[in-house]
Amino acid sequence: MDAYANFINGTITLFSDPMGILIFFGGVVGGMLFGAIPGVSMLTLAAILLPFTAHLSAEHGIMLFSVIYCTGVYGGAITAILFNIPGAPENAPTAFDGYAMTKNGEAGRAVGAAVMCSAIGGTVAAVIMMLATAPIANWAISAFGPPEIFALVFFGLAVAATVGAKTLWKGWLSILVGLLIAVVGMDPVGGIERYDFSMPYLLAGIHFIPTILGFFAVSEIFIQAEKKATGSFIAPKISVDFPSVAELIAHKVAVIRSIVIGFFCGVLPGIGATLAAFMGYNEAVRWSKDKSQFGKGKLEGVISSETANNAATGAAMIPLLALGLPGGALTAMMVGVFQMHDMEPGPLVFLNSPDLVWVVFAAMFFANLSILLVGYLETKTIINLLRIPFQFLAPLILLLATVGAYAVRGLVIDVLVMFIAGAAGFFLRRSGYSLAGIVLGLILGKIGEQTFAQAMQMLHFEWLGFLDRPIASALIAAAFLTILSSIYSAFFKKHAQ
Amino acid sequence: MGSNKFLMTAGSMLAATIFSASSAYAACATDGLPGTMAKPGGFPERSLAMIVPYGPAGGSGQVAQAMAQAVTELTGVSINRDHKPGGSGTVGMTAYLAMPTDGYTVLEHIDDASSAHALDSGRPNPAEDLIPLVISQITFSQIYIRTNEDRFTDWDSFVNWVKAQDGKATIANVSKEGSMERINMKYLTDATGMKIQQISFDKGAPRYGALAGGQVDALFEQPGDVRKFLDSGTFRPILTLLHSRPGVFADVPSLKDAGFDFEPLLRFRGFYVHKDAPADRVEWLQWAFQKGFCEPSYQAFNEKKFMNLIESYRDTAGAKELITGTIAQYRQVYKELGLEVK
Repeated sequence: MDAYANFINGTITLFSDPMGILIFFGGVVGGMLFGAIPGVSMLTLAAILLPFTAHLSAEHGIMLFSVIYCTGVYGGAITAILFNIPGAPENAPTAFDGYAMTKNGEAGRAVGAAVMCSAIGGTVAAVIMMLATAPIANWAISAFGPPEIFALVFFGLAVAATVGAKTLWKGWLSILVGLLIAVVGMDPVGGIERYDFSMPYLLAGIHFIPTILGFFAVSEIFIQAEKKATGSFIAPKISVDFPSVAELIAHKVAVIRSIVIGFFCGVLPGIGATLAAFMGYNEAVRWSKDKSQFGKGKLEGVISSETANNAATGAAMIPLLALGLPGGALTAMMVGVFQMHDMEPGPLVFLNSPDLVWVVFAAMFFANLSILLVGYLETKTIINLLRIPFQFLAPLILLLATVGAYAVRGLVIDVLVMFIAGAAGFFLRRSGYSLAGIVLGLILGKIGEQTFAQAMQMLHFEWLGFLDRPIASALIAAAFLTILSSIYSAFFKKHAQ
Repeated sequence: MGSNKFLMTAGSMLAATIFSASSAYAACATDGLPGTMAKPGGFPERSLAMIVPYGPAGGSGQVAQAMAQAVTELTGVSINRDHKPGGSGTVGMTAYLAMPTDGYTVLEHIDDASSAHALDSGRPNPAEDLIPLVISQITFSQIYIRTNEDRFTDWDSFVNWVKAQDGKATIANVSKEGSMERINMKYLTDATGMKIQQISFDKGAPRYGALAGGQVDALFEQPGDVRKFLDSGTFRPILTLLHSRPGVFADVPSLKDAGFDFEPLLRFRGFYVHKDAPADRVEWLQWAFQKGFCEPSYQAFNEKKFMNLIESYRDTAGAKELITGTIAQYRQVYKELGLEVK
């Protein structure tokens, strides 16, 4: 009941102040817009706004950032679905089936599912956050050290190898290519310079955002341009029909599973929404009776990815608020907002500033709900962008993608990487390799390498040390079971044919 | 310790002016500089750019934001920050050196630039290839444990416990070999004879989470970075890597108290301009950034980050002395470690 009373008080405080309402809706709309434009993500908006938050009250500043976080993660789904351009890395899995649905004339259903599932995932996570922030945060950091996170990554890769490629071997090769790209640059353990070919800019490694933009947006432009040139181009049909409630209820298992996965990934410092989205998608494929339909426009793919990434937003606030541990770039910027107001996130915030905490909780709850309304209105209008003829739309997408790739780190090499990835994607997509697998190998490879090295240091370089840690050993066992079962299935299928 | 005499000589420069800033507000280091300075030839006619070789949320990002704000408050000239993270500052440095040398672009950098040059003289020397405008943050390191830790309670009991673990004890530290943190830990392990496994974390949050969650036994860090954990009573320091005790940590033993005579390496952050920038523009930038150090907003920022416990300010000459001494110290240690010093 305390939580309920606090929530009501937070809501009253939030909506009884005109300035608070203005900032709340500014954050909702701003997050969605910046999230939807490739490259200029919610992080760009947050970085622009950071100095100005010094002129806001602490409640307003932190509330603004938390609202941007919620709606920004959703916003990136729109361009992922309509143009195969994930607005942010956490929307990349949304593009797998979302864009295929657009090509099938089901853009409205895909965007509608993203709207509803983002709202559901985010709202449920916000409620859990309100009820149990402190115990969850303490559990996460004590139960999940580097060995467990490495085991989680290993499990994620094992599942990902079965997704999106024509054969299991191509799936694993895709993952391995991603892992290989991930080792370019300075190693995360000893600072050793690797595969930089005497190019200092490569020391920063290959960033996954230009790679995603290249694989998805640029290669898609190339493919559509080829179709246009050969006369086989078919413009996507426009549809603004939302999925029915019955359809969502039919996917209730996927929604619940993705909430759990998203929340779980979000609560781990340094993991966050990107892994959540990929894991949510991968698990949807893994448990599906008809895996072959994924990547071809299956609604469940969009539902799983978008539910998981928004569930991660609420969860990521837990270690931030309870322990002062930011889970990603945006929550790290929120630490800056706290500090500008002479505060530090962590246990003392609950003691010293409970009003602030509950205004933030209430704002996140309502921001997720507002995705339903604003997202609905946005969807009805933004889908009409598909009416723009390809010859005008394609250069615009290329321009946005180029700006987006450069904006990540201000490095021209990222633009080159994007175009190289685009060209590679153009050929790889025809040959049955999984671009998602490469991207996931790249993203998880960096996390996995670091946590593996940390784990080995913690376990004193004894491999069997993983078995002394129940969660790590369970995840590794699950990973091996996945690998074995996929090999068995591939072998069985081959012989059955 | 055969090199100890050398290190004491090199380090004495660092230590000589360390303790003088406890009352930074009362008399700030650049109060003697003029309050205004005419713009040479109208410079700057537009916004300045600042390349920051690290992300916006870390220590460099924060100090860059605070200094940019202070200089803007002082001069009315806005500064656009351009973050180019990667390669332990190498990417940002490379990008900076490719910029026009017209004085419109400045660089934020930390002591990593000095250690990189110490290992490879082909890398830029921040004291010679650049002109330090100001060093605005200098801080020391500490060893932290959880406040609710019951296996050891202070430095002595910690060392004894670590020795009893026969190499199984762990401490969270940064990842880069040859970094300030790793070298200081080498000093400590050499001096105590303890064997402790360092766990490599390149980001702060997982590093702090590892200690808070009991994944590691101790943490090597600077006090400003873990202030929230100190204020909340989650962590507490058991050793200060200085020869004297700063007032705020009066109950924490210093190196001298613990019986160590090595000279610890310090973390420092500062602002630079290319050596080929026009002299009159450099002079104006020196005035703006040095005066910016004493702006109330910047002083408040440094106080909040525990950067007022030792003297955090160096002007151009002082910065060159600090950097040169640091490079010499790193180079000596690298040779002792058997690293190839180019």
